[in-house]
Amino acid sequence: MSNGSFDELFSAAARDELRDALAERDGPITLPQLRRLAEHAESLRPELQPLRLGIVRSYTSELLDPWLSLEGALNGLQLHTYHAPYGCIIQEAEEGSGLLGHGPDVTLLMLERSDLHPALSEPIGSYSFEQQRVLHSEVIERLFDIVRRFRRHDIGYIVLTLLPSMHRPGLGMYDAQSDRSASAWWAGLKAEIARAMREDVPASFFLDLDLLLEQVGRTNFFDWRLWYSARYPFSAEAARGLARHVASVGVALKLPKAKVIAVDADNTLWGGIIGEDGINGIALGPDYPGNAYVDFQRRLLEYRQRGFILVLCSKNNPRDVQEVLREHPHQLIREHHFAAMRVNWLPKPDNLVSLANELNLGLESFIVVDDSDYECAGLRHSLPQVEVVRTPGKPILVARCLEQVARLETLAVTAEDVAKTELYAQERERLERKQEIEQSGGDLRAYLTSLDMRMRVGFDDERHARRLAQLTQKTNQFNLTTRRYDEQRIRDFIDAPDWLVAHFSLQDIFGDSGVVGLALLRRVRADAVDVDTFLMSCRVIGREAEGAFLHCLLRRLFEQGVWEITAEYLPTEKNVLAADFLVQQGFDREDGGRHRIDLRESSPRPESEFPIAVEVAPSDRGD
Amino acid sequence: MNVFHQLQDAIAGTLNVPVESVSESTKDEDLPAWDSLGHVNLMMTLEQTFDVSLDVDDFTRLTSVPAILAYLKEHGVE
Repeated sequence: MSNGSFDELFSAAARDELRDALAERDGPITLPQLRRLAEHAESLRPELQPLRLGIVRSYTSELLDPWLSLEGALNGLQLHTYHAPYGCIIQEAEEGSGLLGHGPDVTLLMLERSDLHPALSEPIGSYSFEQQRVLHSEVIERLFDIVRRFRRHDIGYIVLTLLPSMHRPGLGMYDAQSDRSASAWWAGLKAEIARAMREDVPASFFLDLDLLLEQVGRTNFFDWRLWYSARYPFSAEAARGLARHVASVGVALKLPKAKVIAVDADNTLWGGIIGEDGINGIALGPDYPGNAYVDFQRRLLEYRQRGFILVLCSKNNPRDVQEVLREHPHQLIREHHFAAMRVNWLPKPDNLVSLANELNLGLESFIVVDDSDYECAGLRHSLPQVEVVRTPGKPILVARCLEQVARLETLAVTAEDVAKTELYAQERERLERKQEIEQSGGDLRAYLTSLDMRMRVGFDDERHARRLAQLTQKTNQFNLTTRRYDEQRIRDFIDAPDWLVAHFSLQDIFGDSGVVGLALLRRVRADAVDVDTFLMSCRVIGREAEGAFLHCLLRRLFEQGVWEITAEYLPTEKNVLAADFLVQQGFDREDGGRHRIDLRESSPRPESEFPIAVEVAPSDRGD
Repeated sequence: MNVFHQLQDAIAGTLNVPVESVSESTKDEDLPAWDSLGHVNLMMTLEQTFDVSLDVDDFTRLTSVPAILAYLKEHGVE
């Protein structure tokens, strides 16, 4: 793809024009190109409407941002996106969470199937029919516990997604026919999820990513390299599709509803020009290219069935068009399908104004489809509130030309739905006032306890030297001092008698997270220790593991006669998360980021204060 | 435009940094925006800009301008 044709995109003077041009262009878009396009779309009139989006996720989502910006901008929205800390799901439904602070219009839950239940780590096909039935109920219960926690808050429209299976079902191509079919189980589960969302959770929507997978194809949906290296699953195509869906939800909430589809006739409903080619000369029928137009008519009737109004607006002799509508054997859309018609030689903008008056609807609710560049430009100029779609020149693209139009995605959201979320929030506030504030904290604690977390703490273990070095190099967020060490330095610390290298791994009912935390401690005096490094992978944030680890170390040191612990917090752009950690654990803040605790006055907390069982591996060195 | 200048533009455009901050010796630690997410974005941009096909193993190696230039040279990008 030459740069020339890419740069042509920037001559588009309206967002719908840019969108049409992009749709007709093949080939991938690079990230810098994506940014330029988004900037261009943002610069066009009218001004963008803000959309506040909150993303709660168990896998990497930040790489979606450029796509969200582009699809948002193409649809007139400026996205303000908050990504919750990685892996923090229900923690974000608690008071004081970043999600609540962000005040989103739309909350997108990006969950994986394996998050829903520990038993899902085994293939579905390995369970008996009865076990599968029980699993279905338990998964629904767990999932809706999570969804309801979110719905208690005023966090806008909730969009729930489950990442599609990365692989074909365990039983392969015979899965569908098996009585333990995994795909049947998931189909049943998704149907139940959709029903429950519809009936029990106001202002919510289950966005079935399997539909996107079907559109894109499994091999094109996932980018395995990105998944295995960065835990981000999406190919560019999938990311774009997902961003488009999210933008559609925003459009439904923020922009005037589309109600009317106003179509041209020539080269839109049929190939050719009726006035010149005659009823037998236009392309409309079972052969190419007529069959492409028949398909488009079928799609238009589907939109009508969904509740959109069809009107005809064509520069033609009325009798010519009438002949096709009444007599042509392959014409699917008949006169009675149109709520109104303007077939004449008047300027299109005038006709549209007249149609709007007749239907008693605003022009901002109109989507106009016309094949002529000239007419489209004229409309964009005189009636900027109308959304204009230029019918593609290639017949094979015509039937799908309305799929880009976000406002044609219907969403069962009404003012009542959104008001209901406020009611929910008020109801909850009322209940809360009656109960202890600890109640909601206890709720989270109950959840954490249900994870059955076990921490293994080890000391001076050179088998982990490489992993620990890697942790110092890659951990940016929960890192008090951000000191980077290579493997040799870690080994040196392990060997040094005045340094202690402590690490931990965390297991829960879902599995083992591996070695995720590190503390480097230096003995300054017989009774004093300085904390050079204290960090934890973002994989396990939000579970009190950092506190459990620290107090395990403090208890141990105190037993050995150490009472003075000093530590530092060195702020960086990325470690705001850890700013108050030391103070919360009982340290006193001093100058310049230094902290200190006297364990004789401020005892280390016992293991029972944390929802984690701690096991200390015996040390070879006896310290 | 020679390969280095193309690469400079690609890095600057992907990481949203001034072109001047990317020199022939720049490595990931030199730019805060070249963190793990920035790196993944950069790998995808390199593929599309230079029409090469990166393996996951290449991801971990190509963490500096010299390493990327060497890779591009090896793969016939002049």
